[in-house]
Amino acid sequence: MIVGRVGLALLVHELLERARDKWVIVISVLFALLASAVSLYGRDAGANAAALTGPSLVTLASLLVPLVALVLSHDAIVGERDRNTLGLLLSLPVSRLEVVIGKYVGRAIALTIAVTAGIAAAAIAGGSEHGAVLWSLLGPTILLGLAFLSIGMLVSALVSRPVTAASTVVVVWFLMVFFYDLGLLGLLVITDGGVSTGTIAGLVAGNPAGLYRMEMMSRLAGPDVLAGYGLSAGTPGTALQVAIWAAWIVVPIGLSGLLLSRARAVR
Amino acid sequence: MRTVGLKDVSVKFGDVHALRGVDVELHAGNTLMLVGPNGAGKTTLARVLLGLVRPRTGVLEVDGKSQPIDNAFKKELGYLPEAVAFSENLTGRQVLRFFSWARGVPGKRVDAALDRVGLARAARKRVRGYSRGMRQRLGLAVAILSETSLLILDEPGGGLDTEGLSVLWSILEEWREAGRIVLLSSHQLALLERRVDRVCVFRAGKVVASGTPDELRDRAALRHQVTLQLATNENAAVDALVDEVTRFAGDLHTQRRSGELVTEVVGDQLLALMDIRGRHAPAVTGLRIAEPTLDTVYARLLEEAS
Repeated sequence: MIVGRVGLALLVHELLERARDKWVIVISVLFALLASAVSLYGRDAGANAAALTGPSLVTLASLLVPLVALVLSHDAIVGERDRNTLGLLLSLPVSRLEVVIGKYVGRAIALTIAVTAGIAAAAIAGGSEHGAVLWSLLGPTILLGLAFLSIGMLVSALVSRPVTAASTVVVVWFLMVFFYDLGLLGLLVITDGGVSTGTIAGLVAGNPAGLYRMEMMSRLAGPDVLAGYGLSAGTPGTALQVAIWAAWIVVPIGLSGLLLSRARAVR
Repeated sequence: MRTVGLKDVSVKFGDVHALRGVDVELHAGNTLMLVGPNGAGKTTLARVLLGLVRPRTGVLEVDGKSQPIDNAFKKELGYLPEAVAFSENLTGRQVLRFFSWARGVPGKRVDAALDRVGLARAARKRVRGYSRGMRQRLGLAVAILSETSLLILDEPGGGLDTEGLSVLWSILEEWREAGRIVLLSSHQLALLERRVDRVCVFRAGKVVASGTPDELRDRAALRHQVTLQLATNENAAVDALVDEVTRFAGDLHTQRRSGELVTEVVGDQLLALMDIRGRHAPAVTGLRIAEPTLDTVYARLLEEAS
């Protein structure tokens, strides 16, 4: 069994701890408030409400959910090291990989609750007319969060000080969420259109934030929306999408476990 | 576990030899203290035992048999890291409940452990509001939660007030009486010397001396300071005493002050000095013997090693 008694205890401990983390609470409440505001605004649009609210919520979630996930995970390992409790934790009868998995799953549950609460708030604010559309965001939004949670865990395993982890995840957020599309746009400009739309679409889909936006825009507003951006040529199929999500979730967390397991000395 | 031994342990961090072929043996009902300057290797040795540092060479032996540092062994370990700081968002009780669950200890032990370290009234307070000493007590509660066979304490006295220290002393005594093993690493030799059975002195990753505090005193050959209070109305007898003590211990080690004769002798000269005192009984009204502190013994042993 990957997670035993210690891992389960750690999972609950992490959940409890995150529920009391003021930064996680602030960003989660902010997400819920903004999502509700977007939903309320769309409510007045009548029959087009879902088409208006959905894409706006996707944009909001693609910015805020990675931030919540990175804030949740950046101190998972380095924070324990800083408090001198990592050694205490690993002195328990538990494998190092189990510690990483327990921490990840506990934080993933906290993230799932925060995302669900945000979307539920938006669905309630939007009324029954477009509730189904909003709830369809839930699964992919959680996947988006899990991918960035895993990236944050890797950062936490790589650095030696919490402040370095915090600044690194901010840089990661800016690069992967905020500037990534601008970077691709810049690439198109610099190469004067020399890069094919398929390559651009592949690069967008290779980033979890980009894949989320592509998938959700396509689902909410139809594939024509992507065609308008010249992305339809490279939109990944379902199997590839699953592989991309799995890779972004499993690889960073696996690397975190590997780093901790292979360390000859744990401080 | 009756004995736990680490044999020929070597650890290297980059170019630095943290431990060089160290042998240490721990016995049931005994407390072993590791002392040494910063970076001497004492914390590294404790971490090897905890499975936190993988040595380049060395084996763990439990009751004379080779034993991997696996989960079965770790179940027998209680650990207090140096300057531990738990999650500030949780209460002391929540922290202990996590460790009780993780160790499979019944929940009622949580309150007992909190009570044992004097934190029962602060159990529902968040760690954020704990003083340094309270955090150390919480760490101690975590370490003793499951009454393990081997307790490893790194600088256990750090931040503890007098009351906290007396809690620590009673825990050490309790562990010893229960026939368990305690390994502690500390700089507070003067505080701990009466509470430990054996001491290992580390320097540059090596054990430079080990033994009971008395054995180390003998090995360091430091002198005991003996103060004889002199009678004021027995001038002839006092002069005779001063002459004999001075001849016995030497000019350099004997000094007459107002109403006192202070002399320094090595441990095995004490009996002979008592004999002299007995022969000049009317000249002496009182006697004080100050044995060398472990701090001075430690300083001497390090000096010898360097």
